[in-house]
Parts: sequence; structure tokens; C-alpha cells
Amino acid sequence: MKQHSKSRIQQINEIKKLIREPFLFISILVIFYLLIVFVIFPIFQVFKTSFMVDGHFTLKNYRDVLRQSYYIRPLFNSILLGVLVATIGTFVGFVFAYAITRTPMRGKGIFRLIATFPMVSPPFVVALACILLFGRAGIFAGLLGNIYGLTGLTIVETIAYAPTAFLALIGVLQAIDPSLEEAAMDCGASRGKVFSTIILPLALPGIVSAWLLVFIQSLADFGTPMILSGNYQVLSVQAYLQITGMFDLARGSTLAILLLLPTVIAFYLQKYLLSKKSYVTVTGKPTSATIKNLEWYIKYPVYAMCLIFAFIVLLFYGMVVWGSFQKLWGVDSTLTLRNYVQMWKIGKKYIKDSLLLSFIVTPITGVLGMFIAYLISRKQFVGRNLMEFSSMLTFAVPGTVVGIGYILAFNNPSFFMPVTLTGTSIIIIALLIFRNLPVGIRNGVAAIEQIDPSIEEASIDLGADSGVTFRKVTLPMITPAFFSGLANCFVRSMTAISAIIFVVSGRWNFITVAVLGFVDNSQYAQAAAMSLLLISIVLLALGVIQIITNRLGKGMQSFSIIEQ
Amino acid sequence: MKRAYLELKKLTKSFGKGQDMVVAVDAIDLDVQEGELVTLLGPSGCGKTTTLRMIAGFHTPTSGDVLIDGVAVNEIPPNKRPTAMVFQNYALFPHMTVFENIAYGLRIRRESDEQVKEKVGRIMNLIGLEGLADRQPRQLSGGQQQRVSLARAMVMEPKVLLFDEPLSNLDAKLRVSTRLEIRKLQQRLGITSVYVTHDQEEAMTLSDKVVIMDRGKIQQIGSPVEIYSHPANRFVAGFMGKANFLEATVKELGESEVVLEYCGKTITAPRWDKSIKTGDEATIVVRPESVFLDPPREDLIEGTVVNSVYFGSQMLYEVEMPDGKLLQAEIADPQDHLLFDKGHSVGLSFKSRSLHVLAKE
Repeated sequence: MKQHSKSRIQQINEIKKLIREPFLFISILVIFYLLIVFVIFPIFQVFKTSFMVDGHFTLKNYRDVLRQSYYIRPLFNSILLGVLVATIGTFVGFVFAYAITRTPMRGKGIFRLIATFPMVSPPFVVALACILLFGRAGIFAGLLGNIYGLTGLTIVETIAYAPTAFLALIGVLQAIDPSLEEAAMDCGASRGKVFSTIILPLALPGIVSAWLLVFIQSLADFGTPMILSGNYQVLSVQAYLQITGMFDLARGSTLAILLLLPTVIAFYLQKYLLSKKSYVTVTGKPTSATIKNLEWYIKYPVYAMCLIFAFIVLLFYGMVVWGSFQKLWGVDSTLTLRNYVQMWKIGKKYIKDSLLLSFIVTPITGVLGMFIAYLISRKQFVGRNLMEFSSMLTFAVPGTVVGIGYILAFNNPSFFMPVTLTGTSIIIIALLIFRNLPVGIRNGVAAIEQIDPSIEEASIDLGADSGVTFRKVTLPMITPAFFSGLANCFVRSMTAISAIIFVVSGRWNFITVAVLGFVDNSQYAQAAAMSLLLISIVLLALGVIQIITNRLGKGMQSFSIIEQ
Repeated sequence: MKRAYLELKKLTKSFGKGQDMVVAVDAIDLDVQEGELVTLLGPSGCGKTTTLRMIAGFHTPTSGDVLIDGVAVNEIPPNKRPTAMVFQNYALFPHMTVFENIAYGLRIRRESDEQVKEKVGRIMNLIGLEGLADRQPRQLSGGQQQRVSLARAMVMEPKVLLFDEPLSNLDAKLRVSTRLEIRKLQQRLGITSVYVTHDQEEAMTLSDKVVIMDRGKIQQIGSPVEIYSHPANRFVAGFMGKANFLEATVKELGESEVVLEYCGKTITAPRWDKSIKTGDEATIVVRPESVFLDPPREDLIEGTVVNSVYFGSQMLYEVEMPDGKLLQAEIADPQDHLLFDKGHSVGLSFKSRSLHVLAKE
């Protein structure tokens, strides 16, 4: 985003330069085509459907929706839920991050693992556990009243999304130089004063940004409210029901746009905040972090909260394990493997499809993401900013909106896509690739920007063209980031639900959809068994890729695999 | 004698447990008089910063005591101690202006607004920060940030001012001028100060007293002159300035002189260490600037020039001695002297008064 006012001559020169490198030129054209078809066109279709009635532009759909409390209610509900989850989740995440970075707590590694674990499982697994615990046949049935509604949603989404806040805030707190705290104490400030005058103001942009991230995730969550919302209607589920239940594309699209608006606003606020985070260490070498003797009245509440949250996470996931071996949940607690057998009988195809599609999607996304990252951060060409913007767009857009967009865009042949994709595997593959691309690109940009451009210049100076330079020089150096991108993409593909549910079909289906189906039929034990299988597959894949990364990444910057 | 203002008594700090235990500071004793500036000097890992942090209260001593003005402060947390520290990386609060940074401690102390304004204004003038009150730390140069850090500590009027290598992030020129200013300010205000550095030049120019530390122990305490001319051991001699070490045997002991034999020649040096006896092996510390070079002569030690470097104001020689060791010599005003080239034989003699004899370690 460096040059906004570029002269025309410069632009022409850039085009000339591009034409001299045909590989680069053609790939840029192909990428633009793909981004237009699979990112911009579907989202445009959602807008179009919500604004057009019988070929005319109108606000009728919006007037209808906003006038009827039946439709406006979900908007408020979604926002209220988002605010609650973001507030509690950020608080929990902050306490965890504080405990890890600022206290001598024991077993930090284990706490870290537990706190990030919900990120590798689909959020609806937590919802399933919630039903097993507090539902009608649950162990603690009735303890929290009716679990189907705001209470259940808040609990489950907090567990599912507090890890996001935790990961964001751990970075923020680590960036605050401990010598600032020492300097403040040296000036006479008490521990509380240090917190309120130094740590809190310095972490505030990060805290707000973490809050917004969780808010976005809660708004976009589909699986949890699908299982747990009861009479508490939220936008993502309502939009889905409008389309699949009532076949009302216009109303579904309108609800989707209402979902999109607060998300996009929150997303850009968050980006803006991050770009302004100026409070890093000013100069000098940061002194090493020293963990001081914390007062007991700070230490123990923090430890207690970490323990409680870790216990809750373990309880929820433990319940899924326990539930998967019971003959009939809440009725007959004989241990059995029957659920697994049944699950396998029904779910074999779902599992095979999911694995096959994810294995196809993952390498394509990895390579494409790295390549776009390379283009964005190292090449000057017309439309570079547009490429960056559109390739990152699906990151901000809730899955429900994307799913609806894909239905609208690919149900019929169009100018951009002359064949119908609905019902094919292509539509699922495309959806997964372009949903997961932004994470790969972000990883890639971060890795590439650590490489001194003069290394690449040296390669070009020695006669290699852009393509050879990328393959022989840049690619080997970004390999660790590449593999962590693969891991990420695989996890996200296997656990995707909100957009996928619109494009699955009889021919091609998905494991997450199958779990939702089991829950829908109150077959909780089979749902639990399948969820566990899903989590095991994901963990296995993460483990394999971690081993590969460790082998390759010796001496190179290592990337943590679990990153949002 | 007046009681010391800051006292360290058998102060010890160890980290880790069992086999991994590292003793960073090993039972050190130190007295600092009121108004004195004492430097803790030593290589990295010698325990100087750990000592300073124990005085500030950031580390709790494993054993021993820190006394300020006669009061043991071991149990007092850093925010209640009458000390203020100037940090190596300045540790300026990035979200506050220069004024707010300096006023921070006074505000914590709940001083009135007028008082805060008056004190901060005064210290800013004193330290040369006029007109920068509303700047953000990141808008300041390194030198200015360093001053803000100094002002923030001084405005608290601490009983003891602590410096943790405050100049190590400045460029060489600024380092020299800033250390002169710090010294002037400290003397004018009479603030008792402890200053940690690994730069011997800084220690020499700043201090009333230098404490040389190595591996957690104090090697020597003394004025810069004492330490330079009468180092207690080889480590001190080598760390404070450049030194050549000649292994010799004590031949005769006079009232104020020692006569030693080195490679068949006699060298006379002042008698300092009374424990040395006739027949002992001893080390003679020869500073490069107290070496004379002449054409070879019967009564001089003969050596061979292996390297010579011309610096304008001085000439540096490396001379191979009869025992095969290399000796460094610095000849001031080379224009006034006979110059030697690589490979030339030379006769060496030493300025007797500046030699120093160490018992064999």
C-alpha cells in the first residue's frame, strides 16, 4: 500500500516489465481470474440478491427485515452474544496471558496447551459436550437452567474463542518490556499502580483488538448456535434456515448482509488498531524478563482462574470422550464400542470425502498462498493492492455469507463460470481453498518479509528470472512457514462448517456436517465418537507436520503451528 | 570515621538450585560514603548488575544485607526504597510525554500539582531538556532519552542513585560528553551513586572509587589511580588498562625497592607488597607506556620488534622478549624518538617508578 499516487508512465513501465516475464504475467492474470470468480463474484451475488427484486434495485428486502421484529431480533441477539463472548473471552485470555508471561506459575506448557486446544477442534464439539453435561439427559441437568439459549451459547463460545484472545494477548504482553515495570516500581509505584498506569494502557490497543477478534468469531459462528441456540435466534443460523428451509434467497441474503456489516466494521477497526500499535520498546536492548516475587493476592486469584478454566476445558472434552463409550447417554451407562461401529457405518463416506477433499485442498492452498504472499510483498504490478485486498477478503467475511454467495454464484452457469458447480467436488474444493487462503498469505508475508530482498536481488543479478529465484532462493527459506501454513489449512478444512454446509451434497459430504446431523437426531454418543475421530485426525496431521517442520526448520525461524 | 551511607554486608545472590546453582554474587562487602560515586566494573557475568539490582530491590539477596543510611532494606520492596535507577535501555514509558515520564514518581508520591511542575521544570533545566516537555519518547534522540531517564530518577531525590550501564546505547562521542555531564551533576548535587559499567575508561573518568568484580567476587576496591598503579592481582591489572606481565625472581629486598631478575638482567621496582620474600617468583606488571626502546646495549634486555603501528601521537610496538613472550610498548611523541622497524633488535628498559610487583598467584 505504498504508492497510491502512481504516475501513468510508471504504470506503463510496470506493465512492460511484466510482459517481459511471461510466467509472472500469466500467473498474475490467472490469480486475478480465480479471485474474481471465487471471492468477489459470490459476495457480489449476495449483495445483488439482497438489493434486487425482479431486476430492479430496491431496499424493499431491508425494509421488510428491519420492520419485522422476527428478523431484527436475530441481529440484536447476535450482537449481544458477540459482546458477551468477546468480553468474557478477552478477560479469560488476558488472565491466561498474564499468568504465562508475568508470573512464575508452574506447568506453563500444559496450561498453554490446554488453553489453545479448543482451536484445533470445531467449536460445536464444545457445544456437544455442553449438552452432555447440562442438557436434558446431562450429568448436571438443570444446573444452569435451560442450556439451549444465551447461557449455553455464551459458555460454549467463550471456551471456543478465549484461546484466540489468549494467543493475541500473549504477544501483546510479551512485547511490553519488563524494565518499564521495574522503572515504575523504582519510582515508587505499587504493583496495582504499575498495572493501571503501565501495563493496562500499553496493552489496551491489543486488548481491544483481541476483543474485536473474538467478537467477529462469535458473530460468524454457525455450528454452536445450530446446536444450542434453541429459541435464541442468531443471524448466521437464521440466514441458513431462510435459504435451506424456506428457499427464500432474497431474505437469506439480506440477513447475511446484516451479519456481514458488523463483522467488517469490527475487522477494519481491529486492523486499524493493530497498524497503530506504536508502543513497542523505544530503544536499547530490552532487559531479560525477570519474574519477581508477586504478592499472593495477585498470584493466587490468577492461578485459580487458570486452573478453573483449564478444568472446564478438560471437563468438556473429557465428557465427549466419556460420552462416546456409553450405551445410551443418561439412560444406560454401560461402556461399549457400539457407537464407534455405528458411527463408522453411517459416517464412512463423510470421513472419506472430508479427508480426500482436505488432502487436495491443503497443498494447493499452501502453494497458492505462498505465491500470492510473494507477489504482494516483493513485486510491483498494477492491481497489487486489489490482489491483497480481495485475497484477504474472505478472512473478514463470515462463512455463512460466503456459503450463500457460492450457492447464488454457482447454481447456474454464468459469464465467469460457464458450468454449474453446485453438487460437484469443485465447489467444495474452491470454497475451502479461498476460505483458507488468507491465513496462508499472512503466514507467507510474515516469513518473506524476514528475508532480506538483497538475497533475491543477488539471484536475479546472477541471471535467474523471477520464477527461478522464487523456486531456488525464496521458497527454501520460507519452507517452515509453508508447512505451518499447510497444517493450518488442513485443520481449518477438516473443522469447517459454516460455509461448507451450503455446498455439500449427496455426492460429496463432510464430516462436520455428519456430526451436526447426529446431534440433530439426538444421537449424541455417535456425534461424540465422530468428533473424537475428527480431533484425532487433526492432531495426527498436526503431529506429522510438526515433525516435518522440525526436520526442515533447523536453524530457521520456526513458526508455531497453531495460529489464528 | 564516618559511617558509610550505603553498606553491603556479605551480600550473596545465587540462582537455581542443587547442581545448577550459580552464585552470581559471592559474599561481597562494600561501603559507599555519602556523596560518593562508586563504579562496579567487571566483565559481563561478573555479578555487577545483580549487585545493583539487589540494592534497587529487584533481586532479593540469598544472604547478607543492604543498608541505606544505617537501615537494613532487605525486606523493603523496590517501590518503597529510597533508590532510583537509570536503566540501560532507559525504560521510558512510551505512552507518556517527557513531562509525564519525569513526573511519574512524584505523582505516585501524591505531590501537589505545583510542586510536581516546579520540580520537573527545575530538573529539566538542569539536565538540558528545556522545551521537550510535550514530546513523546520515540520522538527523542538516544541522548535525549538517556537524559529523560536520568531526570526521572534524579527528580525523586533518591538517597542512592543507581546507574545500570546507562551509556552503553549511545555512540562513542556522546558517551564521552554525557559521562562528563553525569559526573558534574552528581558532584554538584552530592548524590550518592552506584554506577555499573564494563567500560574501564568510563569507570576511571567518573568514579571516586572503583570496585573491580570478577566471578561474583570483589577483586579490588580503590581510587582509579590506586587501581591503575597498584593492581591487586593479574585480573585487575589486565582489566584496568593494558598490561604486560613479566615472570621474574626476587633477588634483593630494600626499604622501598625490590630488585628482581628477569632473563638474566636486573629490574628495580618500588616495593609495595610487603609479603614478598627474597627468592620468591613474582610477576612484574609493566604498563605499555612505561617501556623505553633503545638500540641494543649490554645492560638492556634484548628483544625483537615483530610489529609496529604508527598512530601519529604515539607508536605501538610488539616486541618478542627473550623468554618468547610478546610485550607491548607505547612510545609517546614518536617524532622525538628513534623508530624501529619490524625485525629490528631493540634494547628494553622500564620506568622504574611505574612498575608494580605481584606475588606469584
